[in-house]
Amino acid sequence: MNPSDQSSDAYHQSEIADEIDEAALAEVMRVTPLGAAVLAGTAVALLVLGYLAIYLMVFLPRGTVG
Amino acid sequence: MTDRPAEIHEKRILGTELLWAFGVGVLVAATLSVIVFTALSRDINPPSNVERSDPKTLHLSGEFAEHNLGTTVGPDGRVTVRIIATQFMFVPRCIAVPRGREVTLRFASPDVVHGLLITGTNVNTMVVPGFVAQVHTEFTRGEDLLMRCHEYCGLGHSEMWATVQVMPDDQFKPGPDGRVSCAQR
Amino acid sequence: MRNVERLCLAHFWVAFAAFLVACFLGAWQMWVRSPWGANVGTPGQYFMSVTAHGVSMAYVLTTFFIMGFGYFVAVTSLGRPLPGKVWAWVAFWMAIVGVVMVLVPIIMGQASVLFTFYPPLTASPWFYIGLVLVVVGSWVWCVLMLVAMREWKRENPGQPVPLAMFATVANAVMWLWTTVGVAAELLFQVIPASLGIVQTIDAGLARTLFSWTLHAIVYFWLIPAYIAFYTLVPRAAGGRLYSDTMGRLTFILFLIFSLPVGMHHLMMDPQHGNGWKFIQVLLTVFVSVPTLLTVFTITASLEIAGRLRGGRGVFGWIAKLPWERPAVLATGLAFVMLGFGGFGGLINNGYGMNAMIHNTSWVTAHFHLIFGGSVVVMYFAIAYEIWPRLTGREHASPAPLRWQLWLWFIGMMVMTLPWHWLGLQGQWRRVANFNYDDPIIAAWGPWVLVSLFGGLVLLASALLFVRNLAVLHRSPLPVTQRPLYALAVHPPHRVPAALNGFGLWNVLVLVLMLLAYGYPIAQFVIEPSPAAMVHRLH
Repeated sequence: MNPSDQSSDAYHQSEIADEIDEAALAEVMRVTPLGAAVLAGTAVALLVLGYLAIYLMVFLPRGTVG
Repeated sequence: MTDRPAEIHEKRILGTELLWAFGVGVLVAATLSVIVFTALSRDINPPSNVERSDPKTLHLSGEFAEHNLGTTVGPDGRVTVRIIATQFMFVPRCIAVPRGREVTLRFASPDVVHGLLITGTNVNTMVVPGFVAQVHTEFTRGEDLLMRCHEYCGLGHSEMWATVQVMPDDQFKPGPDGRVSCAQR
Repeated sequence: MRNVERLCLAHFWVAFAAFLVACFLGAWQMWVRSPWGANVGTPGQYFMSVTAHGVSMAYVLTTFFIMGFGYFVAVTSLGRPLPGKVWAWVAFWMAIVGVVMVLVPIIMGQASVLFTFYPPLTASPWFYIGLVLVVVGSWVWCVLMLVAMREWKRENPGQPVPLAMFATVANAVMWLWTTVGVAAELLFQVIPASLGIVQTIDAGLARTLFSWTLHAIVYFWLIPAYIAFYTLVPRAAGGRLYSDTMGRLTFILFLIFSLPVGMHHLMMDPQHGNGWKFIQVLLTVFVSVPTLLTVFTITASLEIAGRLRGGRGVFGWIAKLPWERPAVLATGLAFVMLGFGGFGGLINNGYGMNAMIHNTSWVTAHFHLIFGGSVVVMYFAIAYEIWPRLTGREHASPAPLRWQLWLWFIGMMVMTLPWHWLGLQGQWRRVANFNYDDPIIAAWGPWVLVSLFGGLVLLASALLFVRNLAVLHRSPLPVTQRPLYALAVHPPHRVPAALNGFGLWNVLVLVLMLLAYGYPIAQFVIEPSPAAMVHRLH
């Protein structure tokens, strides 16, 4: 069993090395996270709209409760 | 690989996360405001009247004695319904309520935990032995509704239900003692 | 790796065996409640089944899986043997004894109190004592996780704890905090009642103590799925984790905010007032934050993977992701189910709006979708990812794995979406049979059948899952050594102590617990509720 190494994120050596080229990563990081923001943002916006819809159109018409 | 691109990455990454958190925070705060606003302006709350009562002596005297159960219209015109939830029925099994007026429903249990909902309405509460559960509401639809026990209370739980007759004003007539019973159908 | 394979496999097989049995029970329950099964089974059988199904899924599948996965993470992410392995085995066998002690009274019909127990309903004392043994076994696991992290930190001073282990320990710390509630309820109230030592019980206090455990326990179940999202999935997709820092923050936020919100399960209860319930609503909104952060961070991590594979434009990266890999497919399916399930959860939390759906099929739909769906599908993905390590063999083909995941997703959606609708119609919970002669209930019949069909698809998926793991033990392909854990875009060199340990956060947890639960529990000590008569079912 290899001793834990002192590399930057300190995982066991055999667990960490990946084949990603740093230059390609830097290129990709120029655009990221635009796609994530749009996708996740749309999902959350739909969530909020659906929430308000149920609140206003299903819950409130059923009468006050307290 | 120099350190600079990594640092730029990290600052920018955390910046985008902060932006996302802010955007989501705004949406969440807006939604919460809607709930708070309606809670304050229309007095919409979960049933939260904390009132203790002894389950062992419920049926003997006082508010939940058998002769006092069901719908009563007080001298001030307030409509109060008192129901006992027990294994495995509601007492009484049918209640009459007025349409379009505020009604206060009060529940107690002499035995185990029950719960109930009235279909098509927002009437929903747990009934915990040791406490009186109270719900204020206004019935907006004039029809027969189902009141069901919805909390597991033992093997007979599936058979525990009552009827709620929502009556328009001309049918909701209290007797001399202020009590209103279900119409015979 | 060598020293924990058998330990992990033992835990996982117990978990998945309980899971499979529970799936059969669940399908039977749905049949009995449907128009097609209207005259099948007695209430006694039904509620026995519900108790067994709930206990197996909520206590056995989860606890054993999480313990097994924790041991795996402790060894592989820290790169050192598990400390105290003997104790791990002791804990395992203690928990097994506990499971047997729980199951026997259930099968004998003396413990039909469901997995949430409903004091004053009281089951055989063996049922509760068995559960206590399972919990104590899990506490041993917690201690071993803490020891493993501490020893590694001593050997690696100043280094950031690997994220997978940091999250595992966060989960362990949270579990220690949250089990206090149910332990107190069982040890001081329910077990004395079931032994006949006391004849009455304070139902308000019992429900409040149980609620202490009730929310954080679902995050205990959920965190391994999130560990997979942050540390396994970016690697499986061929990318990087967008932010290691956000990962740490997420797990810390879960630790802090999942603990004090249990009382939102008592939103309709009469023993607590408005003000305390509103605090619960607020804190519950806060506990949605780490999930919302995760949705962004993991989507961004997948975006990196997709763009590295040639994806262009705002959405082009989605199609370029390696969806043929089970871990990636599972994540996509999990996120869809998280969207629907999370939506249901937010409705539940809507203060007064909780009255619209409390104890209806909506609630059943919500937790089957979010736990049975998003979380369990990631349990499948984790098992598929690490089984080759544990057995030394590779899957012959990923196709049956993907089939199984799709079947689970389809079954879960088909089963739970109608339940949401039926819940809004007022269909109530824990019913052994419906009277389909009643016109209101008759209208529900077709949807109940749709739901039943979904349940049968789930059963098929569960069988396929077990088959996929079982055949791996005899697969002819040797395991290909490949790294499991993802790197971050910016792998941390140093992290602040606050993101590398839990001392500070424990203080915050204490403060929030006092705020949320201090008075609500103290009120029962100051003025005990009128006690309810114990109602024995044995």
